[in-house]
Amino acid sequence: MSQELVVALVNGLFRGSVYALVALGIVLVYRATGVFNFAQTEFGTTGLFAAFVAVEMWHWDYALGLLFGISVAIVMGLVTERVVIRPLRHSSKVTLLVGTAGVATTAIGIQFWLTNEQPIREMPPIVEGSIATVLGVAITYQKVITVLVLIVVALALAAFFRSPSGLAIQAAQQEATAAELVGISVRRVSLMTWGIAAALGGLAGILSGPNDTFTAAFLTFGGGAALLPGLMAAVLAGMRSMPGALAGGLLVGIVEQLGALSALADLPGPKATILFVFLLVVLLLRPEGLFARKVVGA
Amino acid sequence: MALLEVRDLVVGYDQYPVLHGVSFDVEQGECCVLLGLNGAGKTTTVTTVAGMLQPQSGSITFDGKELRKGSPSQRVAGGISLSPEGRRLFPRLTVSQNLKLGAWSRRRDSKTLKRQMDLVRDYFPRLAERENQLAGTLSGGEQQMLAVGRAMMSRPKLLLIDEASLGLSPTVARTVWEVTSRIKADGTTVLMVEQNAGALPFADRALIMEKGTLVYTGVGDELRTVNLREAYLGSGA
Ligand SMILES: Nc1ncnc2c1ncn2[C@@H]1O[C@H](COP(=O)(O)OP(=O)(O)O)[C@@H](O)[C@H]1O
Ligand SMILES: [Mg+2]
Repeated sequence: MSQELVVALVNGLFRGSVYALVALGIVLVYRATGVFNFAQTEFGTTGLFAAFVAVEMWHWDYALGLLFGISVAIVMGLVTERVVIRPLRHSSKVTLLVGTAGVATTAIGIQFWLTNEQPIREMPPIVEGSIATVLGVAITYQKVITVLVLIVVALALAAFFRSPSGLAIQAAQQEATAAELVGISVRRVSLMTWGIAAALGGLAGILSGPNDTFTAAFLTFGGGAALLPGLMAAVLAGMRSMPGALAGGLLVGIVEQLGALSALADLPGPKATILFVFLLVVLLLRPEGLFARKVVGA
Repeated sequence: MALLEVRDLVVGYDQYPVLHGVSFDVEQGECCVLLGLNGAGKTTTVTTVAGMLQPQSGSITFDGKELRKGSPSQRVAGGISLSPEGRRLFPRLTVSQNLKLGAWSRRRDSKTLKRQMDLVRDYFPRLAERENQLAGTLSGGEQQMLAVGRAMMSRPKLLLIDEASLGLSPTVARTVWEVTSRIKADGTTVLMVEQNAGALPFADRALIMEKGTLVYTGVGDELRTVNLREAYLGSGA
């Protein structure tokens, strides 16, 4: 195996894990509201900034700083639900979509404003250094931890969706009227959904941030842009399947990195072009997505 | 005193009333059928009792207490359960998950949950055989059984069933009505909504609704002999 290939696979798995976390959040919110959440990755950048402030400026313990970052992301998700989504719940999908874009641009605006003097920041990794070197390629702890976190998150989500609260979320998404009739609070379920989606976004931001320097909008358009790849992963999952979002995220990450090795890399805007070509081919062959289960009618 | 007392109920959608002062009682332990043509206001009546719609005026008294503004979750916790029109199952959840969710208001009471689960399995052996099947893949009759079963999971004092027979063959409809009779015999008061007069033999008493008002109240036997059927239920009834 060539060195380039090892780099591509390692980075593909790492980026793919970040995309999978983003895609899981996108699918969760899509199932609840029927809209794509533009703010999904800004939960991540905001959480990353919060963790950065706690660790680097307030000199908190790293673990506490991470917890703080995730908490800020979750609060942002809850506020988004309460202030934007709930008041607009009877509006059209387009209005809701614009609402989530508004949340994203507001968050980005605030980040730029607050980091005005020093736009470029650097977050230290959870553990410095590399766990191993394969064919001369260093595999950092940060990347391994990111993949492990995705595995833990996937198992936790699978268990959660079989628990009573997880079933209640699915029930409210599938048939809101009946959910209310059996006594499920659809408002609480909606808050819970946004809280979980925001936590997933926050994890994506906090885990991918230390890989590089970061700026405002890091996870949306910046160096760690994951919104478009996350959306692609969600589309591959038919926008509804959680296991599909996970597999889709990993696949998109690996295709992106392998693609960069191929002839396609010579096209302008390499990464995005490769993914668009890939998505187009997949959707032409399987319009319902790669990992979508057949939807059962009511 | 009756278990459910509805008085001068006025309910509308966007202020425009579709129930114009409806009053009736449902006695403890009886099975009552609310009959009427499409658009008469039957669904509006039972969804209001279940707390999904707020009346413009009038009162609903249940088990001796007047129900003020209330959410469906308060009603189901208080003992009123609705099997809604069109079944409204959770299609991508299994039969047993649908049933468990029916007991959401009693989810901390594992004894009741188990007892109701056994009871529903006993009422509908067909559901017991299909516990791990997705609700959306059941036949129409099985879906209706699941809707009634799910409503029974909260161990209601009053079970409301909206149009159980809709879209079912006469045989399957009769199967569902027979279980309704058993549910009543086991002590749960039942109010069922029907367009289909075939439900009459399974009810102790009938209410007939037309254009948002009750036009007839009587025992089922009486109704069977009177020409009211033709007058209010159409010639096909
Ligand atoms: N969501 C709604 N919005 C406006 N009008 C409605 C709505 N649901 C029912 N109606 C009207 O209320 C009247 C009674 O309807 P409904 O209670 O569903 O009757 P039934 O169940 O007897 O067929 C009908 O005229 C119907 O058009
Ligand atoms: Mg109706």
